[in-house]
This record gives sequence, structure tokens and C-alpha cells, in this order.
Amino acid sequence: MERGRARRPGERAFAVVAVIFAIVASWQAYGISGFSGLSTPGFFPMLAAGVMTVSALSVLWSTLRLPDVEEGKGRTLGGFLREVLPIRLRVMVLMVIVYMLALPWMGFVLSSSLFLFAGIQVLWRKRILITCGLTVATMAIVYGVFQVVFQVVLPQGILLRGLF
Amino acid sequence: MAESFVSLTASWFDPWLLFLTAAGTFAGIYVGAIPGLSVTMATSILISFTFKWDVTPALALIGGVFMGGVYGGSRTAILLNIPGAPSAIATALEGYPMAKRGEAGEAIGLTTVMSVFGGYVGILALALFAPAISSFAIMFNSRDYLLLGLIGILLVGSLSGESFAKGVFAGALGVLIGMVGLDPMTAEGRFTFGSISLMGGIPYVAAMIGFFGVAEAFIQLHSLDMPVVKQRIDRIIPRLSDLRRYFWLAVRSSGIGTIIGALPGAGGDIAALLAYDYAKRTTKNPERPFGEGAKEGLIAPEAANNAAVGGAYIPMLTLGIPGDAVTAVIIGALFIHGLKPGPLMLVETPHLFWFTVGNLALANLFLLIFGLTGIRIFTKIIECPKAILIPLIIILSVVGTYAIQNNPVDIYWMLLFGVVGYFMKVYGFEVGPIILGVILGPMMDSNYRRAMMGARNDIGIFAWDFVSHPISLVLTVFLLTLLLSRTPLWGVFMRWVGASRGRGAKG
Repeated sequence: MERGRARRPGERAFAVVAVIFAIVASWQAYGISGFSGLSTPGFFPMLAAGVMTVSALSVLWSTLRLPDVEEGKGRTLGGFLREVLPIRLRVMVLMVIVYMLALPWMGFVLSSSLFLFAGIQVLWRKRILITCGLTVATMAIVYGVFQVVFQVVLPQGILLRGLF
Repeated sequence: MAESFVSLTASWFDPWLLFLTAAGTFAGIYVGAIPGLSVTMATSILISFTFKWDVTPALALIGGVFMGGVYGGSRTAILLNIPGAPSAIATALEGYPMAKRGEAGEAIGLTTVMSVFGGYVGILALALFAPAISSFAIMFNSRDYLLLGLIGILLVGSLSGESFAKGVFAGALGVLIGMVGLDPMTAEGRFTFGSISLMGGIPYVAAMIGFFGVAEAFIQLHSLDMPVVKQRIDRIIPRLSDLRRYFWLAVRSSGIGTIIGALPGAGGDIAALLAYDYAKRTTKNPERPFGEGAKEGLIAPEAANNAAVGGAYIPMLTLGIPGDAVTAVIIGALFIHGLKPGPLMLVETPHLFWFTVGNLALANLFLLIFGLTGIRIFTKIIECPKAILIPLIIILSVVGTYAIQNNPVDIYWMLLFGVVGYFMKVYGFEVGPIILGVILGPMMDSNYRRAMMGARNDIGIFAWDFVSHPISLVLTVFLLTLLLSRTPLWGVFMRWVGASRGRGAKG
């Protein structure tokens, strides 16, 4: 099924990382109880890690046999970033990380509103008022459904404790 | 007899129970449809605020959510190519290509009718064969569960993704994620690296939301500039000719679904995949090839996963063994209400058994009503620009993950899985097998060890057990065929068969 297509940017590196991860996992699984018995806690993890190593090697082998990445399409780091990690994605991941770090501090309502506003603004680039309206409307629905209907406990935050 | 009938129709005539069943089914459809919101999660949350209620209203609401949720996953699978629930993975393979051709309405209509049909087959089986099926399922022992788990993961791994090796890798990764934490048998730490928070294990809902919700949102960023796909919803009520044509396939798929659902540990997900595989193998001349919108591949998994609901109740109510994750939660609900699901439940509280049967039948009727009517409103969500949808998916994923145990650490796990899942998707790995591995891994581990201890840690006896018991033998042969057919060994095997018969083999 895979024959004929060119390798994707960074695919070889990913296959190598997968093999390394599988080997480390096997080593860790061996560390649980070694080969001391057939029904020890470590046996099944060792089996799974072993299967993972074999399949990772097989993936690496078939990846290496694929034709190289097309010229000008991610042979360099810049190309890899452009093809696999476009700027939009990097910004989004960064925003998610900031959002998650801010969550325990600001609470769910404030941090989610800010994240939603920033997210829509970055991805859509409409007028700020439209984005504001969308954010408020969406948050009202989300808050209503989860807090009132499902009664999920939402993170409160230290900053506005008791307010939302 | 008269008492059973009264219990059977209890929720049909009591306005409050009727309302709760309808509300549960309606909510279930949306919970099932929204990726990251799982039926398991919804039922666990429902239990937390229905435990003060009487047992029948609680069961009515939860039953409705279960029924609606199993079906709801198909909606997003068809319209967005994101299975709202693992049981809809196979549905996405055929439903999305249909939607892309502008046949979303037809796909949803057909799915709804076949889901309801499958649901009734499952409920009928629950009512008629509960004792017989449970006495069959009770004969399964540890090694059979181990085999079923392996078959489940390998099926998911081989059905999707670029190559079998990638599917196996993903499945094994999932098993390892499921192993993290204290070993349930010896309380020894596994992959905990001395961290206390890892001892409790990695919550599988965080993994599920990360791999299916966040990773998908990241992938969607690539296609942000593409014009929003306006799914044309023209025809919802399926053609009578289609219903007639696929009737027997629906019957057979529902049968598969009921039986798989009745097997402890295997629920709608495996039922759907097995039925899809069955349809793919047995359909000689599909109108369209599989993978490009074959209706057979849409009908089989959907009939099967809803049939599995009725099936899953069988071992739960008669043996006290959950058929899948949701029924495991429902068992917890029954315990909270002071009931003991098990062989004695049918004897001591037969009215609850008949109530459940009647209530599921009612929920299934509501499924038909809501399934065929709410589609146009539902598709408005799809027409919503991705720029709003993506941040919203991330927020919903955060709420969902946080709701499991109110622990912010789970959210970090979810993000990590989201990023890993993104790379895996980019490089052609499917994330479905990971989730199956996470869920089935611990089950397979404990069953493997029980089977090995049963064989007195003798590898010879252990291996012999796999071929000397009829049920195990059937499963072993199935597993080996599956393995062989997906590896280069198949060619060698077929040549050998061909040579030994003295004529060319097909494969």
C-alpha cells in the first residue's frame, strides 16, 4: 500500500524515535521483574514492548526503503517545520500550553474565554467585536451545559475564587 | 406474567420515566457525537447525581444515554470523519466518503434505521436468550478473553492505517500505556519511575481525548483554509429498496453484535469492527468499493454496535460481569442502589430485568425519532467555521479530561497524547489501536496471568490449552489466520497450500 509514495519530511527521524522508544520501554519492562517467571507482573509488559520493538523496526525498514523526500519539500529543518509543523500549529500548541498553565490560576471561565478569544482571533482574523461576541456566546453555552446540566466541577482558580 | 408485563411497559406510560428516557436518548446522541465526550464519562457523571433518585428513573436516564451514545458516534463519523466514539471507527471509513459525495443525509438515515434495527435485535436477544447466552459466555475462561483482546486490537490495527506494522505498534503502545501504575494483582509498580501520581495509572479517558480530540484538532489546522464542506442533506428517510436489499446483512450483523456484546470485555467497538470485517469479506459486488462509501460497510458496524447494547446487558444482569466499559459503570450504579447484579438478580428482582428490557426498547424508539429529525440542526455545527470549532474542541477536551477526577495533571497528559497523536497521524499511524490497547491491555494482562497460573506456569500446558478446548481452539485459529493474512507469510502459506493441492491458490 505504501509503495510509490515519497517519504514525508521527518518520517525517518520519527521511525528512529519510535524504535528507540520501544527499546527503552522493553528495558523498563525487563526492569519490573525480569525473566523470573511466566506469570510475573513484568511478563506481559515485556511481551507488549517486544512486539512494539519488532513492529517499530519493521516500520523503520519500510520507511528507509521509500524514495527520499521530494526536493524542496522539507529536506532541511525549515522545510520540515513548514510541512509538518506550520507556524499556525506552533502558535496553537503554545497557546494551549499557556492556557493549561493559566487554568489552575485563573479558573476555567476566565482562562477558557481568553483562550477561545485568542484562538478564534488568530485563526480567523475577523473584527475584534465579532470575536468577542462569538466568545461570549460560546462560553455561555459551554458553561450552561457543563455547570448546570452536567454539573461538572470546573477548575475555579485562585485569582477569582468564588466568583465563577 | 402480568407483573412482568407491567414492569416491561412501566416507562412507556409513566410520564416522568418517559421524559427521562427521551432526554437521556437525546443527550446521549450529542454526547456520543461530540468527540472527547464519551458515553462512559456521561454515565459516570449521571450516576453521581442520580444516586439519590429511585432506581428506575436512574436506570431510565442511563439506559437512554447508553442507547443514544452508541449511535451518536456515527453522526460525527459521517459528517466530520471523526468517530465520536470508538464504536464508530468503522462507520467513518464508509460514511465520510458518502458525505463527501453529498450523500450525508442518506448515510445518516440508513445508519439510524439500521442502528434501531440492530438495537431491537439486541433487546429481543436480551429478553429471549439471556439465560442461554449467559450460560454460553460463562464457559469462556481467561485464555479466551486474552485471545479476544488480541483479536480486537489486531483487527483495529489491520483495518486502518497504512501498514499492519504501524497498527501493531500503535496497539502495543496502548497496551503499555494501560500497564502504567500499580499492578492490580501484586500492587507492584509498573513504569511508575517512583512517581506517586503515576502509580494510579494514566486515565484512559485522558488518552482517548488526547488522541481523538486534541490530535485531531491539530491535524485540522492544516486544512483551515479549505472552504467549509457544506454537507448537503437532501434525503434522510432511506429508500425502501435499500432497506430490503440490506435486510439480511443487518440481521447477520445484529447477530454478531449481540453475541460480541454479550461477551464480557468486548463491547460495541469490537462488535462494529468484526461486523465491518464480515461485511467486507462477504460482499461480493458492492455498489461502491469498500473505503469509498460502500453502504454495506456502513450498515454492518452500525447495526452491530447497537445490537451490542442489548447484548452487553445480558452478562451484566445475569452474571454481574460487565460487557463493556459503560456496563461496568452501570453495574456501579446498581450497587449504589443496593442491588446485586448476578445470577440471583433475575430471581429476586425480575421486575427490574423486565423494566430494563422495556426501557431499552423505548429508548430505541426515541432513537429513531431523534435520529431522523434532528439532522439539519446538527449539521449547523459542521457549517461552523473551523476557526471557532478548533479552539472549542480543545476547551471541551479540557473540561472532559478535568471532569474525570478533577485533577489538572490529567490535562497535561491529554496535551502530551495530543501532540504524540498528531505526529503519529502525520506519519500514517492510526490512533484507534492505541485506545483499544489502553482499554484491553490490563484485561489481557490479568487474563494472561490467570491462564498461565492455571497452567501451573508450564509453557507446554499453557500452549496445549489453547488448542485442546473447543472455544479456545476456534479463537486461536481465528487469531492465527488474522495474523497470517496480514503478513508476508500469507503468500508463502498460500503457495504451500497451492503446491500441496497441485493447483494454483487464489491469494
